[in-house]
Amino acid sequence: MSHVDQELRPPLVLGDKSLGDITDDIAAPMAATPSTLWWVGFGIAFSALVLGVVAVSYQIAVGIGTWGLNRTVGWAFDITNFVFWVGIGHAGTLISAVLFLFRQKWRTAVNRSAEAMTIFAVMCAGIFPLIHMGRPWLFFWTLPYPNYRGPLWVNFKSPLLWDVFAISTYLLISAVFWYVGLIPDLATMRDRTQPGLKRSIFSFLSLGWNGSARTWHHYETVYMLLAGLATPLVFSVHTIVSMDFATAVIPGWHTTIFPPYFVAGAIFSGLAMVLTLMLIARKTMRLEDYITVSHVDRMCKLMLAMGCIVGLAYCTEFFIAAYSGNAYEQFLFRNRALGPFSWAFLTMFSCNVIIPQVLWFRAVRRNLFAVFAVAIVVNIGMWFERFVIIVTSLHRDFLPSSWSYYIPTSIEVATLIGSFGLFFTCFLLFCRVAPAIAMAEVKGVAQVKKPESLRIPQPEEAVA
Amino acid sequence: MNGLGFLSGSQARLFTLAAVVGAVLVALTVPLSSTHAWGNLLIASVYLTTLGLGGAMFVAFGYVTGAGWNVAFRRVPEAMAVTLVVCGVISVGVLALGMHNYAWHAHGEAGTLWFKQMWLSPQFWLVRAVGYLALWSVLSLLIVSVSRRQDRVGGTRLTIANGKLSALFLAVSAVTFSLACFDWLMALTPMWYSTVFAAYQFAGMMQATLATMILIGLALRAPGRPLHGVFTTEHLHDLAKLLLGFSCFWMYLWFSQFMLIWYTDIPEEVAFFVPRESGAWGAVTGMNIFLNWLLPFFVLLPRPSKRSGKIAARVAGAVLLGRWLDLYWIVIPALHQAHPESGSPLVGVAEAGSILLVLGLFTLLVSRTFGKANPVPRQDPLLEESLHYHL
Repeated sequence: MSHVDQELRPPLVLGDKSLGDITDDIAAPMAATPSTLWWVGFGIAFSALVLGVVAVSYQIAVGIGTWGLNRTVGWAFDITNFVFWVGIGHAGTLISAVLFLFRQKWRTAVNRSAEAMTIFAVMCAGIFPLIHMGRPWLFFWTLPYPNYRGPLWVNFKSPLLWDVFAISTYLLISAVFWYVGLIPDLATMRDRTQPGLKRSIFSFLSLGWNGSARTWHHYETVYMLLAGLATPLVFSVHTIVSMDFATAVIPGWHTTIFPPYFVAGAIFSGLAMVLTLMLIARKTMRLEDYITVSHVDRMCKLMLAMGCIVGLAYCTEFFIAAYSGNAYEQFLFRNRALGPFSWAFLTMFSCNVIIPQVLWFRAVRRNLFAVFAVAIVVNIGMWFERFVIIVTSLHRDFLPSSWSYYIPTSIEVATLIGSFGLFFTCFLLFCRVAPAIAMAEVKGVAQVKKPESLRIPQPEEAVA
Repeated sequence: MNGLGFLSGSQARLFTLAAVVGAVLVALTVPLSSTHAWGNLLIASVYLTTLGLGGAMFVAFGYVTGAGWNVAFRRVPEAMAVTLVVCGVISVGVLALGMHNYAWHAHGEAGTLWFKQMWLSPQFWLVRAVGYLALWSVLSLLIVSVSRRQDRVGGTRLTIANGKLSALFLAVSAVTFSLACFDWLMALTPMWYSTVFAAYQFAGMMQATLATMILIGLALRAPGRPLHGVFTTEHLHDLAKLLLGFSCFWMYLWFSQFMLIWYTDIPEEVAFFVPRESGAWGAVTGMNIFLNWLLPFFVLLPRPSKRSGKIAARVAGAVLLGRWLDLYWIVIPALHQAHPESGSPLVGVAEAGSILLVLGLFTLLVSRTFGKANPVPRQDPLLEESLHYHL
């Protein structure tokens, strides 16, 4: 069996660690003072965030006329960024809930930070529709409750309202899931900290965790139930985002494949972002023994599968447009590939479909520089996918006299940069205050070294 | 085991009788409406082919994901995959026989339809069908033969080799299965189109495949049968979980297709749903949803029912009937529109015939192919893991 274990079931934690080593390794970056590298990253991220705050303040003060939208292209950068960030937010729950239900033990190395990433990404996503409202301080009008404004009710038939429900539910459940998963680790941190404020905070947040079998039993039941609840949510959120488009009668937006295709695309982009962050984190936080090359290999396989599904969906759309015999569908897809925005289409197609095909090769999946490059390319490609869907479908509508082009303004670009600033600022802070890897879960899947006194000779050893 | 596989002589005679009676019943209705009779043959052939393809895909998914749990009973989906060879030949015959039932000839005008006319030209259409079925059969046979060779050779090398082969097979069949669904089922309503159609058929195919594996696994785990002590309650539990998942996936895709078409109300798109939502067809639509989602979802949700052979078997039976009804719901109204004489959703002699034909033929084929190899992949390096895992 042993040669099989090595080849088909590579160890999930390298370096022959004991349970104590695992805690020490993962908790180390939180106790040490931040490295220069961390400060540099934080400086860049925070500057971007400040730029974003300035840009958002300006556009709220002046109005969304500061955007490059026009009568023909009524949605562009804002909704592209919104869908991009919501998509990024899918990998966290996929890894923690769906892969949990599929008993994929390797998920333990990445689930914690992927979940944190989910929450930050959904926060970034929320900015854009909020600003697009024009008067964001009236956001509570999107919630249905008896009121004195008429009464004026929300439009329950609108997918935009379904978005409000779906995304807020998703954010809530993801946050709860993340927090519940953190509890045992927070207790570990409590026990490692000297009495004082820090310890009080950890103690408060760990809800009196005592590590007894009873506590673990409750914890595991809750975790399982939350995983079961979160799994349909992974599907529902991007399904409903896709319906923002697919319930319209606009060629390029209205197509029945949108729900599963958006979900696959979201998972694809989320995995790319997880890989981007993890490859940096494993290097800077010295987590090479926990996020191993074989973890990266598996994530690449998953990313390749998702990329192929997305590619099949692109091709299906083109095929059905040709097959349908519908002149408007045919024009739209010809215009998408060959029209004024063909540069965006080509970027999308090569980044999402062609370049990720290199992941078929094991050598590429195990070359971390190559994987990092592919992950960046996919991030770019998936941003362009949303841009292509939104802008190319709108800019040449049914009335040729209103055809136009779209160019983003500097304010829009600054807002996008600001959202990246918010995301990375939150992520870098998270790495400082909470264990970036789920220690308790990693201990459950690691083949730990037992202290000599506790070792029981194995039968075959005894014979030998 | 004898040459009949896991069936005894009398059981084999019974299933042969079912297949023959089924074929005769369908043949008897030809004078009444040859279109209707052919529709039922098409349902039977698509049903059979996708059970084989589904089995092959299940095996391939196992290899690609490095799964261990499914190894112990892998010979069941492998046997299903091998039936593709015979079922593929039957499908080509049925498709060739009924080419005239695809009504694209009626839409003669060129213009924006040039691609459709080229794509659905009868010769090209039939050649493609042969191509899809040949590709599926060859690749699945290769995967199965590598798996069987491992029984003699052992080691991990062949597991890894089959992982690569399976990835290739899945990539090829994702594209060809999409096109086959468009060609064989969607094109029955020639002016209708839906991009999600193939994904929705994939969900239905996997549902029926899992239900079939549950039934065969349960039948073979009794004392004295080939999978006694091998197909455990844990395997049943996992298969039932997957069936529950794929039922939800099927409903998700069915609903996505329906809701988006209903919401936008574009004439050429709603043309598919309008004849299927009123009168007796409305009841068939409801029954389709009941058998494929409502029933499996609510019954299989609690843990004990997934671990109970009795309950899981009944749900699996209902899902297999649901799969037949789903195909019926797609095929017959489409033929009815083009040929009004082909009738209402009367489940009559031809329908009974097509169900008996599928049941008899598939059981005979799968039993025979199962008998041709060791019932358990005894040298697979992951066999131990599969035999001794607990949920």
